[in-house]
Amino acid sequence: MSELALTRKKSRIFRELNTVLTVAAREITVFLKSPGTAIMSLALPLVMMGMIGGNLMQNMAGDLGFDFGQFMLIGMLVTMLFMITTMGMTSLVDDHDIDFNQEMLVSPVSRYSLVVGKILGGSFAAIVSMAGTLLVGLLMGITLPLGKLLLVLALAPLMCLSGGALAMIFIGLIKNKKAANLAVMLITMPQMFLSGAIIPIASSSGVLLVLSRLMPMTYCLDLTRAVVYSGSAEYSSVVMFNPLINFAVIISLTVVCLVIGTLFFARSEKNL
Amino acid sequence: MGMIEVNNLVKQYKGAKTPSVDDISFKVDNGEFFAFLGPNGAGKTTTISILTTTLSKTSGEVKIAGFDVEKDARQVREKVGIIFQQPSLDPQLTAEQNIRFHACLYGMCGYRPTFKMMPAAYRKKVLELAEIVGIQDVLFRPIKKLSGGMQRKLEIIRSLIHTPDVLFLDESTQGLDAVSRRGLWDYINDVRNQYGTTIFLTTHYIDEAENVDKVCLINHGEIAACCSPEEMKRSLLKQELVLDAEDRTTLTNELTALGLTFTVNGRVIVPYTESAQEIISRLQTKLTVLRIHEPSLEDAYVEFLNKTRRGAA
Repeated sequence: MSELALTRKKSRIFRELNTVLTVAAREITVFLKSPGTAIMSLALPLVMMGMIGGNLMQNMAGDLGFDFGQFMLIGMLVTMLFMITTMGMTSLVDDHDIDFNQEMLVSPVSRYSLVVGKILGGSFAAIVSMAGTLLVGLLMGITLPLGKLLLVLALAPLMCLSGGALAMIFIGLIKNKKAANLAVMLITMPQMFLSGAIIPIASSSGVLLVLSRLMPMTYCLDLTRAVVYSGSAEYSSVVMFNPLINFAVIISLTVVCLVIGTLFFARSEKNL
Repeated sequence: MGMIEVNNLVKQYKGAKTPSVDDISFKVDNGEFFAFLGPNGAGKTTTISILTTTLSKTSGEVKIAGFDVEKDARQVREKVGIIFQQPSLDPQLTAEQNIRFHACLYGMCGYRPTFKMMPAAYRKKVLELAEIVGIQDVLFRPIKKLSGGMQRKLEIIRSLIHTPDVLFLDESTQGLDAVSRRGLWDYINDVRNQYGTTIFLTTHYIDEAENVDKVCLINHGEIAACCSPEEMKRSLLKQELVLDAEDRTTLTNELTALGLTFTVNGRVIVPYTESAQEIISRLQTKLTVLRIHEPSLEDAYVEFLNKTRRGAA
């Protein structure tokens, strides 16, 4: 047997970034090898944007003071990022079932790197769904200017991280696929309706107002709309908060969810 | 300082009435080949899981290479490699992708999307190891298309690619055919000789532990014995003379007259502690079978379990 020429890299930062990349790459590889998942990622926008969105446009678009189609397209784009990233996190349950979580957790890297890699890898499918949503929107005659679209794309990783971190709090503790799938619905559905993705929430009050302010997606949507509508006459009708406030809240909620979710995940795998 | 030091380790799972591991202590020296044997449910996997930081302990102190498994978990993980009892491969990736994933997580190289793009040292090492364990032809096939034996071989390559100081083998050869088992042990012995790797083994194939430096027997979460295999055999079993004659009755009468105890079980079995030569020289009956039976570690292990059961009854 020859001498090992491979040596360990010393830099901690390199190793953690490499871990994020490796875990994310695995998720993408698995996604590309699962035609069913890829088809679902493309089919979901057809249902969400084409059917739900189309129906809302036909029945709700009047007298809002802004273009409801574009409002809803942005809502659907962010919903897709949140929903598909959250669904992607259920692969933690699959990894638990095949004991692959053990292989990851016994490695000398930060648990945060593993989770962030998992979220970023899962967001690849979300980006595919986002592209599908844009395509369905295009077929419905709803478009975004290229410059605005690029800005939305630039924000996408932050949205995915935020959605994935929230999902970790629930899915990190779950060891059963059925329960994980229910958790996805529990996480994404209220956000879709309460955060203003497809129904404006500027006039919400009482409990619904409080709930909407607790949803990370509310701030993700508002930030995205602030970027898209910036400089337009519709800005004040569509955007609720200062973009800096949105950004600060997203970062804070993401960090808190990530810390709690990762802790839950590591503890549940450790059988305390 | 030992490579593995376990002092008064206790693990009691939530809701369990009794501890799975109950106040055990042992030490494994650097480069030692150590076997941890016991029946199913004895506490072997629980102990390994604690030693490899994948399970938390209830109390006690556990150190690997001087690092505490809970306070210095990261350093411990750098030092150990493990082959789990159940395969822990991603069935959707190829064999090589599974190795690449592991090598990158252990900081052996930066991640690249294809094997061809990986550093030359990585490619050379993977191909070399694959050839040694005989999986070079399936290296780029998905795991789900590999046999159980092939998957085990792959896990062994994966666990050794970062050259751990301690390799934990948790019933790792289960399900492998005899030729594959022997091939793997030859390779693991090579690694041990070349790098001085400490091996911590649990197995149900007791013959695999015959050549270990130290063996610990665990039962019901407690350590029953911890010594060399030779000492264990001596303490639990006697050597035996296996005899037979055309006239077996004459032979057994003669043994009785000499005051020797024996059993008849197909052949005449005469346990002894001192010289076999002396017994044989005193026998007048013409023998048709004369053999010395050296007890194996498996014999000692079975005797240990039988004694435990008799004690419990």
